[in-house]
Amino acid sequence: MRVGIVGSGVMAEVHARGWRTTGAELVGCASVNLEQATRLARQFEIRVYKNYSELLHDVDIVDICVPTHLHKDMVLQAASAKRHVVCEKPIALRLQDGLEMIEACDKAGVRLFIAMVVRFFPQYRLSRELVARGQIGQLGVIRLKRVSFVPQKPGDNWYLDETRSGGMVVDLMIHDFDYARWLGGEVERVYARLNRATDGPGQYAQAILRFKSGPMALAEGGWAYPPGVFRTAIDISGTEGLIEWSSDEHAPVQSFMLHRPGEAASVGLPIAGLSDDPYALELQHAYKCIQSGEPFEVTAHDGLEALRIALAARESIATGKPVNL
Amino acid sequence: MTMRIGILSFAHLHAEGYQANLKNMAGVELVGFSHEDASEGRHFAERYGLRWFPRHKDLLAEGLEGVLVCSENARHRELVEMAAEAKCHVLYEKPIATNPTDAQAMKTSCERNGVHFMTAFPMRFDRSVQEVGAAIREGRLGRIYGVNGINHSEIPTAHRRWFADKSLAGGGAAMDHIVHLADLLRWFLSAEVLEVYAELDNLFYPHAVEVDTAGLLLLSLSNGTQASIDCSWSRPTWYPRWGHFKMEIVGEAGTVVMDSLAQYLTLYSSGAPRNPSWVGFGPDPNQAMLEEFVASIQEKRPPSVTWNDGFQAMRVALAAYESSLTKSVVAL
Repeated sequence: MRVGIVGSGVMAEVHARGWRTTGAELVGCASVNLEQATRLARQFEIRVYKNYSELLHDVDIVDICVPTHLHKDMVLQAASAKRHVVCEKPIALRLQDGLEMIEACDKAGVRLFIAMVVRFFPQYRLSRELVARGQIGQLGVIRLKRVSFVPQKPGDNWYLDETRSGGMVVDLMIHDFDYARWLGGEVERVYARLNRATDGPGQYAQAILRFKSGPMALAEGGWAYPPGVFRTAIDISGTEGLIEWSSDEHAPVQSFMLHRPGEAASVGLPIAGLSDDPYALELQHAYKCIQSGEPFEVTAHDGLEALRIALAARESIATGKPVNL
Repeated sequence: MTMRIGILSFAHLHAEGYQANLKNMAGVELVGFSHEDASEGRHFAERYGLRWFPRHKDLLAEGLEGVLVCSENARHRELVEMAAEAKCHVLYEKPIATNPTDAQAMKTSCERNGVHFMTAFPMRFDRSVQEVGAAIREGRLGRIYGVNGINHSEIPTAHRRWFADKSLAGGGAAMDHIVHLADLLRWFLSAEVLEVYAELDNLFYPHAVEVDTAGLLLLSLSNGTQASIDCSWSRPTWYPRWGHFKMEIVGEAGTVVMDSLAQYLTLYSSGAPRNPSWVGFGPDPNQAMLEEFVASIQEKRPPSVTWNDGFQAMRVALAAYESSLTKSVVAL
């Protein structure tokens, strides 16, 4: 099948590399940033399309790697053009938008895959698998960490604009909200606190989730560390055991590099170790399921529910009160 | 002149460490300990070569200058009042009490008898804690966004059953662990806890005990900092060590990750109760804490950790129980 990417930033590049491993034919990209698109096209020997419509016309699957506030319109357009969609997380900025996207794709008979990549990180997958196999008994307390630095972008830094990215809680912490829900099931209650820098976009948040089935989780997220520092961690305790993992340890290769502004690493991406690239794994999975018609392991509904938790956390931060889902 | 010190009750497992600390201190004579349970009393007397007093008042009649109260939490008041009447300065185990009335009564009694009271917050005397405290106070981390506090451990019932008996401990994991981190937050930030949100439940041992064993808190402090505390008994009993004491201080100018027990060797030893086990080689903060207690008596001054420190930390723990019960944010 033919794949086109819309967008030309960090995620577009990461996804382009991922698509290369799938067997799909990556034909081109479209982007408002022509210079960036040209660079991407040259790197992956693909075409630059004049605009989104032209790209849609020419592909079977469109991979949407643009700022979150643009997701809805692009997905709706792809659905009406009967194109399958891979769309970066978060699915949208509002639940209603996400619902409409899911409905439009359903109605058009096309697949919608939300790229919740953390589910494809091997340590997160394995932890989930061990929990599901009953290795640690009934879940008790889940601790998840995802603290990074303020995303750097040379031009328009849309990450910092909450009207376009949803802010750190929606853009970054959604990963762990999704993962926690994957482990613990539906969430009953969320309480969260967030502190902002006196100067600049730095911020740090902590959220407590309580699951309907009993367990509780603490998710920690932030744009708070010095540039280049990105720490993630998992600690899952149960009645019969415990799973621990931290990015501070266990790296098969450790490197300490300088990055020029604008390079891929200027938006922090966690290093997965030497296993397969999780971005490639998620696209391989999406591609296989689109081809075969099998259900995705992580559905658009999961993407929507993760957004629901993130929005509840944001509401809790704003009101200072726990939010019931 | 040697200072005569006694230990009132061996119910708290820390008493076993304290007696060794006291024996190692120059100028201090550990007169003995009192413990009401005769078989336990004889056991500890023999094990540690200590003089055992079956009745607290008999130990207090020995003319002591200071006592360590290592009873169950709910019995602190009774023993502190006895000690104060006997004009002994008091160091008592945390938490100070299981309710504000008892804590207030302890204060009144000590003040009336002119004795000082010190809450056992040994982590204040830990070198990693002191280093981090200095970094915060000197502004090296900038304004603090938040603190991620971890004091999760195994269930302590294998060492002492009463830790999971509400009538003696006042609660479970939350009563056991919250006060340490709550105290350091107050101390580090020179701030008071304003709001407490907590989820507490018995998720780990629902069939074995009737107290909370899992707990997550999110606090708001008067200086604007937020802080989480994990007080759970979530480490398995076969974990390489009893648990962890960690704080990650995330500030605008930098982050410090404090893992107070990180100085350990991993030991693989056949037949060991924990295999592997983490064997610590860091300095023992209990020693420094007891030295401060003794020094405060010698210098006739209040100790550096006060009744109020113990009281405020207990209030945070009690607020956590209230928050968990009402599913709401509790203002202090």
